[in-house]
Amino acid sequence: MAPDGPPLEPDDTASAPEGSEPVPTDPALDDAPLAPEQVLDIIREQRLVVRDRVEPDGRLLFGAWGTAWLVGYLVLFSTARDSATHTPAGWSFAVFFTLIAAAIAVTIVHTVRRSIGIAGPTGRSGAMYGWSWTIGFVAVFLIMTGLTRAGADPVVVNLGWNALPCLLVGVLYLASGALWQSTVLYVLGAWIVLVGGVATVVGLPATFLVMALAGGGGMFVGALATHVREYRGERRAGSRSELRSAP
Amino acid sequence: MTEAELDPVIHAQARLRVVATLASFAPHDRIAFAKLQQLLGMTAGNLSTHLRKLEAAEYVEVAKSFQGRSPVTHISLTARGRLAFEDYTAAVTKILGGTP
Repeated sequence: MAPDGPPLEPDDTASAPEGSEPVPTDPALDDAPLAPEQVLDIIREQRLVVRDRVEPDGRLLFGAWGTAWLVGYLVLFSTARDSATHTPAGWSFAVFFTLIAAAIAVTIVHTVRRSIGIAGPTGRSGAMYGWSWTIGFVAVFLIMTGLTRAGADPVVVNLGWNALPCLLVGVLYLASGALWQSTVLYVLGAWIVLVGGVATVVGLPATFLVMALAGGGGMFVGALATHVREYRGERRAGSRSELRSAP
Repeated sequence: MTEAELDPVIHAQARLRVVATLASFAPHDRIAFAKLQQLLGMTAGNLSTHLRKLEAAEYVEVAKSFQGRSPVTHISLTARGRLAFEDYTAAVTKILGGTP
């Protein structure tokens, strides 16, 4: 095929986002004959480029949340254990909520950055899914405010503030696992819902220890599972697009 | 099926990379030109040339719109383009002796 485009400009690889592997590019090869052997490699490679630069990295997100839960809940546990009422000290809540806020910030910045320049159904689903977290947490806040006003015991309030967000986060993970057919997300959702339930049954202050070790630990297992299933496995076994495009 | 029968619109390195990239997104997703350029590491002129050929075959849809005052071009793979890519991948797999 004769090159009929405008004169080729020098490649601007400097515009590639940081932290991503350079994409091999050689305009002279654009119309070069293509061996069938190369075709599947090219398809696999582009699939990996899209995954690495567009899709959120589950390992980073689970890592951020795992750290926030493990450290945050351990801090809550350490002060609740020394308190007569088994309720955590004010400063430990400050540490806890700072860590949670940091994890939320990492999640939002990472997912927004990766989704820049993409419009259509995926973006719409993502936005609706993102809003369901916000709406859910507004409802949690209203319910807990109502229970507190109705005269709930501080211990009950503490358990509620722990159990309701757990239920919400777990169910949202279950839903996202079902929608995007991600076993890792689904199993993690089931785990978080159950951990939240068990943490409530064991009572204060052990609640926070269960949350730190089982909850935070579960997130780290999720990060590892994502790595094994979606990153290491895929490079060996071939890309999903290849599998998907097979009739 | 022989190599000569492979869809010539897709069977060229640059256009295969464009189509494979677009096919990695969910159906009907629209990708901004600048984003696609980044994912492919191609120059704007080069990418435009290949997009014109793909558009002529109705494999991609190029839509221009405005985000505020700046014009944005979004590219999406058409149903026809996605089907052509699947047929092409199956044909290549067959040539290579694999079971599609």
